[in-house]
Amino acid sequence: MVTAAASAPVRRALVALVALALLYGVVSEIGSRVLPRRIWMATHYIEDVELTPRYASLAEEAVFLVRAGILQASVLVSSGRVLAGVLLGAAVGLPLGLAMGRAAGLESLLGPWVAFFRFTPAFALLPLYVLWFGFGEGPRVGLIATAVAIVTLHGAFEGARRIPRVYLDAAASLGAGRVLVLRRLVLPAALPSLVSSVRIATALAWVTIVVAELIKPAMPSLGYLLALAGAYPRVPTIVVAIATTGVLVLASDVAVLVAYRWATRWMRRRVG
Amino acid sequence: MGSGRARLQVADLAYTYEGRTPTRALDGVTVEVGDDEFLAIVGPVGCGKTTFVRIVAGFLPPTRGTALCDGRPVAGPSPERGYVFQEEAIFPWMTVRQNLEFGLLAKGVPAPAREPIVGELLGLIGLQGYERAYPAELSTGMSKMVEVARVLATDPTLLLLDEPFGPLDAQTRARMQEALHAVWAHRRRTVVLVTHDVEEALWLADRIVVFSPRPGRVRAEVRVDLPRPRTLETRLAPAFTALKRVVWRELGLGEGSRA
Repeated sequence: MVTAAASAPVRRALVALVALALLYGVVSEIGSRVLPRRIWMATHYIEDVELTPRYASLAEEAVFLVRAGILQASVLVSSGRVLAGVLLGAAVGLPLGLAMGRAAGLESLLGPWVAFFRFTPAFALLPLYVLWFGFGEGPRVGLIATAVAIVTLHGAFEGARRIPRVYLDAAASLGAGRVLVLRRLVLPAALPSLVSSVRIATALAWVTIVVAELIKPAMPSLGYLLALAGAYPRVPTIVVAIATTGVLVLASDVAVLVAYRWATRWMRRRVG
Repeated sequence: MGSGRARLQVADLAYTYEGRTPTRALDGVTVEVGDDEFLAIVGPVGCGKTTFVRIVAGFLPPTRGTALCDGRPVAGPSPERGYVFQEEAIFPWMTVRQNLEFGLLAKGVPAPAREPIVGELLGLIGLQGYERAYPAELSTGMSKMVEVARVLATDPTLLLLDEPFGPLDAQTRARMQEALHAVWAHRRRTVVLVTHDVEEALWLADRIVVFSPRPGRVRAEVRVDLPRPRTLETRLAPAFTALKRVVWRELGLGEGSRA
């Protein structure tokens, strides 16, 4: 059952959230009393800045952001970009990685390129992407998709290559052709590796989106909300935006983890 | 038994593993296996018995000599020659049913036609009710029997068994031998069983070929004229012990203590 498989990671995520919330409560109560309330920004002092806003201020800010519709809209827009980037990136990375893992010729052809881009920060491509795709959704989704494609390509490649020889031999002696081997052997054998690479890629997509949203910033989006709040400065807005992003990262991670558990259910011994 | 025309004809088979120090695994092996005959190959570790069946299965091209199955030279693996691996080769991400169906799927047999075949095989290995179980839920012995049944699904003319019960304890192995015997009694066909277990060979086979140490050569052939069906009594009969003595002697054991 999906729900049964989901409960463990969901519980762990909730424990982490509660622990973090408690810790922040203590820090903010002390901080709001101890830390100075005026800070030097650019050319002048700004008075009465709560550097670690207490829950009361955060609640007030959250209510304002939700009433104004800013938070919902930002979550929706940013999540949409992450989803589009992950889907696009995985749609390129996974099949290419599988093909590379199964065909030695393709591996030697593409291998060096993958090795090169694997450790190139996606942000290094940002100026190029803006020139190629213009301002708009293109470079943002493109940046996420690139990061996702490289991670998932590597995961699929490793998964497809590590299938034990004996399974391929067994399939050959049972008379299986290429298509059947790919569908019934390579794909399921590589599935755990595929899904875990999608999990890493999704987390990476959230890291990428906040920066990608600084390209020609436009409301609403979480990245822009953060940048704007930092410029004012409005610390409660920053904290609310960070917390929202954190919850979204955690939620998407749990979603992928549930998919992972489903994909690997054959690994777990059950009582027959 | 063992009469009739030869299903498998192996003549002057030799195999050398290339490398910095080439290893001669087989040298001039000639063996014929008749229709519906159960042949066992025993020999010391490293005598090339696995190399021998891997060549017959089509995974290794011989360095010298020929292997003919039904008069045709072996060229690559084929469902005609069902091969049960020494290693665990059951597909762990497939259920028992999906494993059993795999060969039929490869042959393009439609679902309604697959159903009775899978049902019969499940009954044959005593796994009715387990068709939706994953291999991880089965014992090592049972998953090996699924592998045997999976190979039988496509009705091969030749069944090659490479140390199928090697890693099992003696009791489980005896139980699996009985299961295999029952399957073979139901579905008579030509079998080549490779094993290091002399009792296993004697209890199952019609004839035993003893290989010499590396490079593997046929050292002796022992006809096993024990009545079938074979039972626990067979294992305890004087004739069984007498044959055991012959095979152990051919393996060169028991001579060291005399010297």
